[in-house]
Amino acid sequence: MAATIGLKACRKIRGAQIRGLLEAKDFILFDCDGVLWHGEKAVAGAAQVVNSLMSRGKNVVFVTNNSTRPRDKYVHKFYRLGFTAVALEHIFSSSYCSALYLRDVAKLRGQVFVVGCDGLRDELREAGIPCVEEVDEPDATIYDCALATDVKAVLVGHDDKLTFLKLAKASCYLKDPNCLFLATDNDPWHPLSSGRILPGSGSLMAALEVASGRKATVIGKPSRYMFECISRQFPGMDPAQCLMVGDRLETDMVFGSNCGLDTMLTLTGVSQMDEAHQYGNSEVDQSLVPDYVVDTIADFLPAFEEVEEQSN
Amino acid sequence: MAGSKCVRLNVELTNKLLESVDSILFDCDGVIWRGDQAIPGAPQVIKLLKEHGKKVFFVTNNSTKTRKLYVDKMSTLGFNANEEEVFGTAYCSAMYLKTVCKLQGKVYLIGSNAMKQELEAVGIQQIGLGPDHIFGKQTDWANVPLEPDVKAVLVGFDEDFSYMKVNRAMQYLTRTDCLFVGTNRDTRLPLEGGTAVPGTGCLLQAVEMAAQRQATTVGKPNHFMFDCVASKFGLEPGRCLMVGDRLDTDIMLGSNCGLKTLLTLTGVSTVAEAEANQKSGCSEKHKMVPDYYVESIADLLPALQG
Repeated sequence: MAATIGLKACRKIRGAQIRGLLEAKDFILFDCDGVLWHGEKAVAGAAQVVNSLMSRGKNVVFVTNNSTRPRDKYVHKFYRLGFTAVALEHIFSSSYCSALYLRDVAKLRGQVFVVGCDGLRDELREAGIPCVEEVDEPDATIYDCALATDVKAVLVGHDDKLTFLKLAKASCYLKDPNCLFLATDNDPWHPLSSGRILPGSGSLMAALEVASGRKATVIGKPSRYMFECISRQFPGMDPAQCLMVGDRLETDMVFGSNCGLDTMLTLTGVSQMDEAHQYGNSEVDQSLVPDYVVDTIADFLPAFEEVEEQSN
Repeated sequence: MAGSKCVRLNVELTNKLLESVDSILFDCDGVIWRGDQAIPGAPQVIKLLKEHGKKVFFVTNNSTKTRKLYVDKMSTLGFNANEEEVFGTAYCSAMYLKTVCKLQGKVYLIGSNAMKQELEAVGIQQIGLGPDHIFGKQTDWANVPLEPDVKAVLVGFDEDFSYMKVNRAMQYLTRTDCLFVGTNRDTRLPLEGGTAVPGTGCLLQAVEMAAQRQATTVGKPNHFMFDCVASKFGLEPGRCLMVGDRLDTDIMLGSNCGLKTLLTLTGVSTVAEAEANQKSGCSEKHKMVPDYYVESIADLLPALQG
């Protein structure tokens, strides 16, 4: 069942094939946007799928690059949309994992300058990481703005309140080579449920990389770090027993590939079948190609029904 | 002349060089001034060059001033110049949109008041100048009203840069018939007083990343800046000298356009960097090796005064 080395299968599967796959896996990792929901609207059947997997004893975790909400708000969203068994410990967001990185890997002694939203700051505070306070300085310019002392890291995420002054301050802090440079993720844009898009963290990260002449360490998919966070929480987790389900080739599929997991593309989100085939046919980067494809994760439901029929 | 590059000028070589050129193009920041201070001796150099019958031009990637404001700054610092001699990217982007793109329609501008004025001077209307803060919810941002007349996005230095501006630019750029132009890619903008802030290159990169499109940049090292000067004044590239402090913009422009090049060490680049480029096996890097260098353009004075 595991992908052979070399070309990926990119195979659309259904019914009994899905059942077989799920039986072989202990851990199912789901991306959220475009897989479980679009904005405030759940993908039809998605909640049933997740609830069924959990009630059948599968470990289900959620891995998202979206850094705008703290995990407790995610729990509320899951509940609102019908995913009633999801708890805090199942959720791995790039903001939560950035906080873990600063606390456990960097062992940060000092403050973080955050170019991001309140949700990101909340996760950092929750982990005991001090952030430089956002001060409202309407008339400040780069000549006379307050620069905090003891800033040991700059963390960039999605920031709809980005201003030139923030960019300038961040690049001042980054002049110190001992100041860490982290990004929650490098997605250039995010889709909204309407099909429109918005600029993503990748856009702001690019500006800051150019300003500082430095490269950021990216926490979110496709980097491996979020998988390391999950593994630490679930000791004994074996990549061969895991399936990564996502909608974006360059983040979810590459993440799965980087961590040695089987990958499944669902077509309810960003990437489409012809893109997956294009990469599959090229010699270039097989890590973007999924092992399996489904139209929607609701395609898992018939697999459960067959099991129920068999056991009746 | 192979191998004869990156040579330090002395009086004799300076005289030979000056005899071989009719026009001299100077970068500004780091060459004739630093912040709000003239490089000592620089005003005298310009004056003497003109007295020797040379044409003098100023070619800068800085998009924050109109040609008139540059001339005002130059007067304050003791340089004698007129608007016709100054080529900044605010002016050159407007000219590019007008004469090369033959733009019919409006521009969504991320930039300065200077850029707005230069656009209006060639009859191009802009929208977008000034503060633009986020409001409402995410769905509001993705659905910002887009003016149908906007046919180009132009990005230059903008102190009011914000997420909302990146958003608006990105939305316009989803239209395939919308042009995408940037003034320059400099990573730092020198300020009066000598410090520096993130430059236009950063702002441009943010928009390019979000839109997943590449802008055409008008400023050095793109040959358009030289074309602007040359077409107006009938210059012959082989009889022109480019004087600058940056290997990746000024000297590269000179190489791209077949000009002679002189590096001055009062700004960004060093001789060590130039020599490293010379020794590298890369043809792109060879374009970033000057013919000559001086510690400061004041080093030209002994030859000019002699």
